[in-house]
Amino acid sequence: MSERRPKVVGFCCERHGLDAAVLAARSGRCYDASVRIVKVPCSGRVDQTHILQALEDGADAVFVLGCLEKNCHYDTGSIEGRKRVEYVRSTLADLGIEKERVEMFNASSTMAWKFPEIVTRMAEVAKRLGPIAKGGGDR
Amino acid sequence: MKARVQVVACRCCTEMPKLLDMGRVMQAASERELVVSSMLVDRVCDGKNIKQVAAEAREREVDRALVLACQKKDVNPALLASYVKAGVNESLVEYVDLRDEVVLPHLGDPERAQAKAETKAVAGLERLLMLQPLERSTEDMRTTNVVVLGGGASGRRAAEAAAAQGAHTVIIEKSGKAYKAPGVIMPNSTLVGAKGYGGNFVLTIRAGEKTEQLECAAVVVATGGGWADLKGPLAKACKSAVTLYRLQEMLDTGAAPKGPVVIVDTPDPAGKSMAVQDFAWDDALDLAMRAKKTAPLEEVYIVFQEMRAFGLSELRYKEAAELGVRFIRYERTAGPKIDPKEPTRMTVKDLSQADVLSVSIGTLAFAAIPANRDNQGIADALRIPMSPEGGVRRGSIQRWPVSTPRPGVFVCGSAMFPKGRDMAEAEGEAAGLMAGRFAMQGVIEYGGVVAEVDQDKCSACLTCVRTCPYEAPFIGAAGKAEIRAQACQGCGMCAGVCPSKAIELRNFTDDQIAQETRTMLGGDF
Amino acid sequence: MIVAKRKPMAEIAEMVAPYKKVKIIGCRSCVAICLAGGEKEVKTLVSALRLKAKKEGRRQEFEGLVVERQCEKEWVKEVEDRIMDSDLVLSMACSLGAQTIGDMYPKKLVFPALNTGIFGVPEEQGVWSEKCVGCGNCIIHTTGGICPIARCAKSMLNGPCGGSSNGKCEVNLEVDCAWYAIHERLKLQNRLELIEQVSPPKDWSTSHSGGRRVYVREDARLTQYQKKGREAVR
Repeated sequence: MSERRPKVVGFCCERHGLDAAVLAARSGRCYDASVRIVKVPCSGRVDQTHILQALEDGADAVFVLGCLEKNCHYDTGSIEGRKRVEYVRSTLADLGIEKERVEMFNASSTMAWKFPEIVTRMAEVAKRLGPIAKGGGDR
Repeated sequence: MKARVQVVACRCCTEMPKLLDMGRVMQAASERELVVSSMLVDRVCDGKNIKQVAAEAREREVDRALVLACQKKDVNPALLASYVKAGVNESLVEYVDLRDEVVLPHLGDPERAQAKAETKAVAGLERLLMLQPLERSTEDMRTTNVVVLGGGASGRRAAEAAAAQGAHTVIIEKSGKAYKAPGVIMPNSTLVGAKGYGGNFVLTIRAGEKTEQLECAAVVVATGGGWADLKGPLAKACKSAVTLYRLQEMLDTGAAPKGPVVIVDTPDPAGKSMAVQDFAWDDALDLAMRAKKTAPLEEVYIVFQEMRAFGLSELRYKEAAELGVRFIRYERTAGPKIDPKEPTRMTVKDLSQADVLSVSIGTLAFAAIPANRDNQGIADALRIPMSPEGGVRRGSIQRWPVSTPRPGVFVCGSAMFPKGRDMAEAEGEAAGLMAGRFAMQGVIEYGGVVAEVDQDKCSACLTCVRTCPYEAPFIGAAGKAEIRAQACQGCGMCAGVCPSKAIELRNFTDDQIAQETRTMLGGDF
Repeated sequence: MIVAKRKPMAEIAEMVAPYKKVKIIGCRSCVAICLAGGEKEVKTLVSALRLKAKKEGRRQEFEGLVVERQCEKEWVKEVEDRIMDSDLVLSMACSLGAQTIGDMYPKKLVFPALNTGIFGVPEEQGVWSEKCVGCGNCIIHTTGGICPIARCAKSMLNGPCGGSSNGKCEVNLEVDCAWYAIHERLKLQNRLELIEQVSPPKDWSTSHSGGRRVYVREDARLTQYQKKGREAVR
């Protein structure tokens, strides 16, 4: 039985976030299949309960990808998204859970290299830290 | 009413058939009795296939569809149109982008890609089953008025461009000065309040002693820069100093500037009352060269903290230096000084030589000027964001160069940040064109993916009201939050911040997001 | 309004560790508004504690729910079955709510997830500052609308003291000197003569220093006749 594969969830905004992922794919870049893209209209839609629920449901790492901060399609959406992510990170840290499991990224739709970079980084975190549940194993 | 789902799987372009067994993907998504039709097609964008899909949908009385292909915006829009014609609500067609999210990025990993695609298809189906049909509505625009705030160079151009689209323009002019422009000009008037949303605004205008209400479909902010407001120790010390654009006017009219020309970046080098702005370098370099060419025997200085010319304009830096323009770079803590008792002399410590230089001033011009003081009041009234320097913020330099984030409100010229006349006029024309077109649409379309408040759960905490950039949430007559659908852009920020979970964004609810996440995490890939 | 703040996660996690069935009960009133204990914070805490339990290999059941106003018995009664089903109720309301549950169900353990708090004014989104300490005898009509008990570090009635400097308080240079503010306000209102009037020492008996206070509106009370026969919640 091969070792358990890491599970990464990426909440991507439907604007620059998803477009960046699409451009990466279309420009011939591959990335780890561990990532599960969940699309939201704006990274500001994401709140702490979505991120924590994803961790509860078995994600080893979660990221939120939104537009560049001064260039958000919905003006201040990615700023809000970042605030939520920071709140989760400090909550996790307070609980003795590694805060690097959760991270916020910003990209513009033209940054073809960014999405694979993000996935590589989060997959590495997920592999290194393993599942949150004690003793490893699945779920 | 039970859902009746059609699943359409597309073998699509070149990659799908090579990597994925689309048949199996379609199978995975069709293993529910609610799926009454599944079709595997070679190219769903093909008109012939669209006809077949729609015909089958109609025959099987399908009420929602799952399209396993690529991005929604790449699929032939005729597919969606055919679904709508066949009686399927527009919001009940879910596109799963297998091509860009599974096939292309996982070309080297076919086994995992297959499992992932099947999981995505199932997640898409589950999401589709949770979606609600959404309706769009229209509201008539009550007027075709475009109100232009400010009758300067960009404002007048905006009024012309809007009028050319058929709109009726009203220029709100702060001063009593007269000029020619289409539509109506209201002199000695200012904007003091605004209600409503793009398409149906109600503005409150103060004209002299009276205030009046003015309805309009769109607003163009063309209030200009703080030309008269030169503040800072250097401006105080040298009363004859001018703005860069006044220098431009002088050169345009053929008047040679008097004596040595000194262009300083800001009248406030220590930055106490005004930060150094970084926009005007192209103009400063141009004007420095023009001044030098006009009077080659006179010195021309540019005194600055940082030179930031755009792109190829950097070459003008070299060109200017070769012409003999002298560049003096200073540090904030040891900036240029002028003794008010001797305003024809400036001392400044040159960073490259570390010497204190004494510069003779004939004409002093500042590249940066403060923003218009009126902008704060305008921005507050229209609820539009401002830039940190006090200008009115544009939506985004690439997509909305002359729009504010608020639909129906446009901005042009030096109201954003000070700029030269030709640039201001070009922006005015663009803003007027957009405002005019917007106003002549005649109807406001709204609805679809918008937020909704469950008033029973709302704590009236005002968080959503303060967070939304579009003024969509407000506290209604019942003392609870409500969403103005006409203004809602469907971003869901309000839903994300609500502490009582009273706001949901239709078709991106917490449950829908959670379900999709859970299903994807359950997939073994 | 009442402003409370969630206890540090680490403290809460330690508090709940020994209990198997934990119900986290929030409130839609003050604590929702000050972003400490509304439905979202409850859901967040439930998820967070589940993750912690998972990490430490503990089997615990966490359930979250919210009532309209936790200090009202009627609303607490609505969730009685959840409370009775618990090994521990973790209240995410202010202490008033937590104590109401405790008083109604004395055999059940009710712990506070929040630290209550202050009477706070939202200065801006996310920032609440204390402007009232509930002294029970409001005198702000004599101080231009600014409360010196709450906003002066020494709660002086005849300030400013010698530590007022450039309008700031000597205790903390970021804090405005309340009496400087009062002076400026009275000046604006042309009532500076008030500042020259000497106030006598404060009668603190109306404040908490005088003991636990109970406020009564006799005309609003239900008579025995009215109370008789109603469900025994009152």
